[in-house]
This record gives sequence, structure tokens and C-alpha cells, in this order.
Amino acid sequence: MLWRKLMRDVLENKAAYLACLVVISIGLMVYTSLNLTADNLWQAKENFYREYGFPDGFATVQGISDAEIRRLTALPGVARMEGRIVQDVRVIFPGREESAFLRLVTVGLSQETQISKVKHLAGLPLDPHRPGVWVDSQFLAANELEIGGEIPVIIGGRKVFLEIRGQAQSPEYVYPMRTAQDLFPDPRSFGIAYLPLPVMRSLAGESVQFNQLIFQLEPAFSYQDVESLLEPRLERFGLVALYPAKDQVSNFILNQELSSTEATANVMPLLFLAVGAVILYILLKRIIEQQRGQIGTLRSFGYGSREIQAHYLSYPLIIGLAGGLLGSLSGLWLSFPMTAMYQAFFHLPELRGRVTFDYVLFALLLSVGFALLAGYFGSRQAMRLSPAEAMRPPAPLSGRHIQLERWNWFWHSLTVQGKMATRNLFRHRQRSLFTFVGIMFCFSMIAVTGYFNNIISVMIFEQMTKVQTHDIKINFAAPLAAESARRELLNLPGIKRVEVMLEAPATLKHGWRERDTVIIGLGRDAELFNLFDQDGRRVLPPEGGLILSSQLAEALEAKEGTIITLESALLRGDTVSLPVHSIIPQYMGINAYMDKDALNRVLRQGELATSALLVAEEEALPLITEKYREASQVATLENRQQLLDNFNEMMATYGFTVWILAVFAFITGFAVIYSFSIVALAERKRELASLRVLGMTTGEVSQILTFEQWLLALAAILAGIPFTIYLIGQMAQAMGSDLFTLPLIFEPNSFIIAFVGTACFILLAQWTLLRQIQRFSLVEALKERD
Amino acid sequence: MTRGSWERKGETVEVILTGRKLCKWYQLGEVRVQALRDVDIEIFQGELVVVLGPSGSGKSTLLNMLGGMDKVSSGELFYRQQPLHGMNEKGLTRYRREAVGFIFQFYNLMPNLTAWENVHLSTEIAAKPLSAKEVLIDVGLGERLEHFPAQLSGGEQQRVAVARAVAKNPEFLLCDEPTGALDFETGIQVLKLLRKFSREHKRTVVLITHNAGIADMADRVFYMRDGRLDRTRNNENPLAPEEVSW
Repeated sequence: MLWRKLMRDVLENKAAYLACLVVISIGLMVYTSLNLTADNLWQAKENFYREYGFPDGFATVQGISDAEIRRLTALPGVARMEGRIVQDVRVIFPGREESAFLRLVTVGLSQETQISKVKHLAGLPLDPHRPGVWVDSQFLAANELEIGGEIPVIIGGRKVFLEIRGQAQSPEYVYPMRTAQDLFPDPRSFGIAYLPLPVMRSLAGESVQFNQLIFQLEPAFSYQDVESLLEPRLERFGLVALYPAKDQVSNFILNQELSSTEATANVMPLLFLAVGAVILYILLKRIIEQQRGQIGTLRSFGYGSREIQAHYLSYPLIIGLAGGLLGSLSGLWLSFPMTAMYQAFFHLPELRGRVTFDYVLFALLLSVGFALLAGYFGSRQAMRLSPAEAMRPPAPLSGRHIQLERWNWFWHSLTVQGKMATRNLFRHRQRSLFTFVGIMFCFSMIAVTGYFNNIISVMIFEQMTKVQTHDIKINFAAPLAAESARRELLNLPGIKRVEVMLEAPATLKHGWRERDTVIIGLGRDAELFNLFDQDGRRVLPPEGGLILSSQLAEALEAKEGTIITLESALLRGDTVSLPVHSIIPQYMGINAYMDKDALNRVLRQGELATSALLVAEEEALPLITEKYREASQVATLENRQQLLDNFNEMMATYGFTVWILAVFAFITGFAVIYSFSIVALAERKRELASLRVLGMTTGEVSQILTFEQWLLALAAILAGIPFTIYLIGQMAQAMGSDLFTLPLIFEPNSFIIAFVGTACFILLAQWTLLRQIQRFSLVEALKERD
Repeated sequence: MTRGSWERKGETVEVILTGRKLCKWYQLGEVRVQALRDVDIEIFQGELVVVLGPSGSGKSTLLNMLGGMDKVSSGELFYRQQPLHGMNEKGLTRYRREAVGFIFQFYNLMPNLTAWENVHLSTEIAAKPLSAKEVLIDVGLGERLEHFPAQLSGGEQQRVAVARAVAKNPEFLLCDEPTGALDFETGIQVLKLLRKFSREHKRTVVLITHNAGIADMADRVFYMRDGRLDRTRNNENPLAPEEVSW
């Protein structure tokens, strides 16, 4: 019988319970879908890496022979080592202006012996006697290429047509980015092509040596053990970089995505569940207060307090179960499209959604746990009443003066309704506090989503319009004499300005801390690449010191004046010590800066440049692109506009996910305000009805409740601003990486959006409340016995 | 020391409730409110007792003590041989479940259960219940089984409440102003039901009221004043419920 009572009670308050159910469901949907998606991603990665032998370490050198590699393989700790030739070549698509690149990677033909095997997805096997390649599927699709077709590329200054023999995927290019400085992959302009070594040699010259080593470790050895042995031995082969698997770009991004997904999957749902639990707690407390007499009656004819508590616990329990079931099953469903979405970013052959009920079960346990906790605390106090006490109406709440009344100007400016509302806030401290926290939480969630939407544009805008103001960047295939390169470029028609730069890969050390980075040498008259200090003032690289980006300084624990030791393959074993001149904030990349001439002096290689920044008339841009696309001295050519367009395209999809979060926050905010309003309304029906009898309109009566909410909302929004800043600070710290830092720049519009969003959900909740007030019968409300 | 039985009108009747020096006080902040003072009381099997007194005289408190709804502050209270004073909550719950049937002034029905469901709610937990449906037919509500309280008149609601208490088949009924919210005619009908239960099942009914007219149908009348049992009156010839008036 109690079961029927329960069902009818719940149905009577269905809107409030539904709101709570939705909040719990959202939390568990996020929990289940993200965890499942992360699991799918993790499993696909593990399988692919294991099956295709992801290397434990990588070394880039200028050139090394097969015999030397065999010798290095004998080093303790090295299980397997292979050499390969990796070379980026330009693709010439007829009629296309933007540049595209193909990374040629040599692969062995007998798949069994290899580390980092390539999964052959479609087409014909590779042939050591034909200039054919396997290409990654995304590049083919993005450029509308097909197996059997040809790709025109420039190798060693020659135009060569590579036959597309098939499609393949390597575990090293799950997330194919050309450099770590890129923000995201662009399959239209960058792809990977796998080809046999003989083919590579026939294209690039028979004398070309291996320039990359990949190796796997013996089980008992760590990467550091082997690194210390390899590093000195590789120096004479022109060691450029030596890094472990975790620093490999594609792997790094994949792992970062995995850990941030897992973090979101475990933190976000807790917030929603906590809000859901608070709503349940308040609802249950109210229903128990309301049914005090009924509890007394049940006790009078012999129901025990445990039976009654069990009865009231079953309210949150069914909401928890229903919310858990709804949320986790919809999460299970959602994990399929989400996994599919990841397929577009991470090219893992076995990445697919799967049905597993582990997380559904966890989600159910979580929601039931939260619900019962809320239920226990909500029902605990009422259960302590003796039956006789329960039969009596509760002692009326004391009417008391509150502290705020001392602020005369404030107090006297309030209407009677305002005074009632304000006193009420303090009467129901706990509920006021929950409402306050609820609104603050939702406001901040909306503001955070607004911030993220904003900040990426800010970062890009900052980078593109202030830091790097060139139209085209040309990266040279090999360092060139600075002045002659500059002069040649300057002679092009339509060129307005040319600045050459020297970018030198180096390891910076401070004590035991070290970091691989690129030192960028800028001219003293540099205008196309600008550095700004904390206060937005331009700074120029000094003669005899380094400028560090703030992340780099943090990683090295360097301050202004700290002496940094500099190692570079270009120094051939020598080291140089330089002081830190200043530290500047930088959102993207982890770089060090020097005066170009000073850097040249340090490297003792003459006046060299590795790249040039160009500003030209708009009409001249296609001509310059055309001219240099095929030049042998040019490695790559970056068009700023192209980068910007790609970025905006990607933002469109990213922005969508961000706004989903804002919608969740909106729903949660509505649920909090709505369910708490319903409780307040039920509690004060008689009071409000009496005011109606006195002649107040429904509008005036509802003002008492709405004024209360606006007062709380105002306080919550004010508190929400620093809370948002704190949250973003925490998130920036958690999410910041070598690739970018989230700047703590707060545009007022994210707060304005959050304010409008908050006001909207409050108004919506109040509108539903007003309709309820209009509906209730005065006579009934006055007759009702509390 | 309790006495298990008593000689009355040549018949041996059992004593079912015995109270000695029953006291109850409530602490309200710094004020101690004395609700019962040294009440000695004995209630027999099968009698109809009316407890009479103005409001605030302690009748409801006494009823709560007798029904195991609240604990005495001092004194001794026995149900047959079992001490109710000092009994823990679990014991009191069992006592209420097995021995007592309550009827309240404002019926206290579950608003979202039908008449039959309300009665069934109490028979579910009773050891030897009567049929919920039959008892409802007995109180004249055979046609109203599926009605919710809000669809019933006050008299009908109180009859559901009587049915709910009776259907548990308790040792005795405790009625707190059972006619207080009813008109005269309806009140008489409820009293007739209580009388019938008492006579037919030889069960005790304790009825508290401030309506002196009802006292005429009692076997014994307790007069309460200021938390004390002022005096007791034996009614040699109790009136039938239809004969009383107020």
C-alpha cells in the first residue's frame, strides 16, 4: 500500500521530480558516454600500438648507415632498432594555391620484422621497383584521390608522380600533424605516404642515409637508461632530437585527449549528481514536513520508524534508479556517435563503439548512492520524532528580525513583499544556501563555456594579428645565407616587407631541468614577429640574453637573470651559457627568443636564416606561392589566411560541444530554481492565499517568491564571477600544455552571456511558478491543515 | 505490582491497562510544561471509557501514553503484565501494531490512498486482521471502497478511520475526539460503530472528548483537570448512543 502512496505522491509532484531526474540523467549520461568513449579510444589505441609495434623511442639524425644502426642495436636495453628515411615533400595539385605536404616514410617490405608496422587497409602491396606508395586514407579522401591515381610531388627539386598503390595507417600518425606547433591536423594539406626503401633511394638519391631511428626497449630497461647511452653515440651523426614515445606528437595528443576526457568524465557527472542530490534532499525534506501527520498516523497503528524511513527512502531511490537507468542507457547510446566523432580525429583502425554494461552498472550504483545519501539526510530528522510529536503540527518558524534590517536605507527601500522575502531567505538558510550555490554553479558553467568559445579566438587573433603579422612564411629546406635570401625575396614583385629568421632546435638546461625547444632568432628591426611582455609592451630580443616564454621559464624554473645552458646539434657538442633577459607570456608554443645576430654568433655558422616572413600586395600572393612551391630551397610555404580558415572551420564543430555544456547548465539551473520554488510554494500556500484574500493580485503575491530568487541570484552571480575566474584558472593549469597556454583574459561578453542565460532560466522557472499560483484555489489553500 | 483481573458485576474482568503515578512534562526552552501529574488509572477488558475534560487538561497526553505514542516522564504503565514505561521504540511499535487501534478527530487518512487502500494499509501489518473489505461494508461504505478521502464526506472519512482501526483487530481502541469534527447525526453514527465494536467483540474503547453528553454512554467516566485525574464515575446503566444528546 505504501508503494501506491509513493507512486501517487511522486506523480503529484511530477514536475519537480522530473526536473531532478533530468539533472541526474544528464550527469550520468555524461559519465557513461565519456567513460565508454575514452575506453573505446584507449582500447583501440592499445590494440593498435601493440599489434603494430609502437616504438619506445625516436631519434632524428642527419644521417646514419645501416651498419651503425646494427652496432647501436647491441647496446644494453635496446631490443630492436630500425632506421628509416623520413622526408616531407611538397605536393603540387594542379590549380591549387595552398601548399600541401606529404611525409614520405620508408617501410620494410617484410612486415614481421618491423617496429612501427603499417596497417595496409586497401589496394596493392608495395613494389620495390615501382615509384608507388601507400597513403593515409584521410589525405586521399580530403584531396579526392583514389587508389590507382597519382600524386605529383617535388623531391630534390624534381617533379615526380607517385603512384597510389593503396591505403595504410601507422600507429605513429593516428593524429597526423606536421609539427607540434600545429594546432590540429589538416588532412587536405598534410598526409603520410609509406614506401619501400629502394623506391625512396631511387627518388631521393642512392646516397641518402637513414635520418630517423626507432627503437624498442628490453622489458627491464627504461627509456632514460637507453637515452644516456644513445645520446653521446648519436651526436656524431648530427643528432637533432631524441625523445621517448610519450613525447611523440600523435601519441602525446592522443594521451592528452584521453586523460582530459577521463577527467571530464569523472568530475562533471559528480557536479550534476550533487545538484540532483540536493534537489532530492530538499524535496524529500519538504514532503516529510508536509506528511508529518501521516507519519504520526502510520506510527500510531504500528509502522516502525525504520519501515517509514524505508518508505521515504524509496522516493529518492526510484528517482535515482530511473535517472540512473535513463542517464546511463542514453550515455551508452551516445557513446556510439561520440566514438564516431573521435574516428574523425584519431585514425585508429579498430576504434568503434561497443555495448558494455560496466559503466551502466557503475552509473546506477552512483546515482542510487547519491540518491540514498540525499534521502538519508533528508529523512533522518523526521524519523527521530516520537509518534505523538509527529501528530502535532510543527512548531511555527520563529519570526525574527534579521541583521539586514540594520541597514536602514536598504530595509526601508523594500516593499512589504520584499521584506517578507528577505526575512524568508534567512529563515530557510539551508535552502537559500543551496539555491545560491546552484545558481552560482550554473552561471559559472555558462560563463566557462563562453570563455572557452572566446579564448580560442582570442588566442588565434592574438597570434595572427599581433605576434605573427606576415602573409606568408617560407621555411627553407636548409639554412641559407641570410642577407642574400632576404634580398632575393625582396626583389619579388609586390613584396612589401621581408624579414628572415633563424630557428634553431636546442636543449635548454637549468640545473637538472631541461627542455627541448626551438630558439627563434629575430632581427632587431623585426615587425612581422612581435613579442609582448606582461603589460602588452613590445620587447625586442636583447644582444646577449634569452627571452623565454612563460611556460618554458616555468618548466626550467628560470627567472630573469638565471643562467641557462644551451645545447644544440648545431654546436657539435659544445655548450653555451646565456642569461635570461626577460620572460613573456605566450599562448602558443614553448619557445625561446634571441637576437638573430647573437644567435648566429653563438652557433658560429655564419649569417644564416632558416625561414622568411613576407608581407606582400594581395594580388602578389598567388604569384609568390606559385613561384616558390616548386623551388628546391623551399621546404614549406605557410599561408596565414589558409591557417585561419582551417581554424575557423574546426571551431565550428568545437563550439557545438561547448554549447551543449551551456545547455546542460541551463537545464540544471532551471531544475534547481523550479524545484525549490515548488517547495516554497507548497510550504507557503496558506500564507500566499491569505495575501490574495487581502486583495493582492497573483503577480504581487508571486513577487514574494520571485524577489527572494532575484536577491539570491544577484548574490550568486556576483559570487559567480570570481568563482568562474577561479575555475578557469584551475582548468587552465590542468589543460595547459607545451602546445598552448590558456590565457586568463576575461572578456565581459562571456559574463554577459552567462548573466542572460541565468536570468532566462530563472524567468522560465518563475513563469511556470506563476501559472501554478494562478491555478490554486484560495478556499482549498486556506482550509489546508499543515 | 499489577492485578491481572477484577471482579465486576459478578463477572471476572481482566485489567488490560494499569497506570501508576503517571507524569509527563515537556521542556520548552527553559520552561517545563507539566502535562500529566501523578495519574493512577486502570482500564478493563471490554469496557467503554470516556475521558472528559476541557482542552489542556491532559486527556490527549494520557491517550498518547496509553497508546504507546509517547513515553511517560515518570511513573509506571503496564499493558497486561508488560511494562510500557521504559520500553524501547521497537517494543512500543510492536505494542501499537498488535494491541492498539487509533481514531483521530481529523481522521488522518492518507489523502492519496482510496478508502479500501487506507484500511488495507493497516491490515497489512497486523497479525490477525479482519477483511478490510468486510469491515468497510460493516461500517456502511461498501459502495465507497474505491473513493479517495477527498471524495468522501467527513462522516464517511471518520467511518473509514474507524474501519481502519477495527480491521487490525486490536485489543482496544483509543479515540481522540472522534466526533469533534462531525455534525450531530454523523457523530451518533460513529459512536454506534464504536459501541458495536466494544459489545460485539468484547473489546475496550477509550474515548476522549470535551463533550459531556457523550459521557452518558460510557461504562465509566474519567474527569481530567490540570493534568490530574480529578474523579471517576461508574455508570450503572449506560445509554445507547442514539439516546445521548449534546
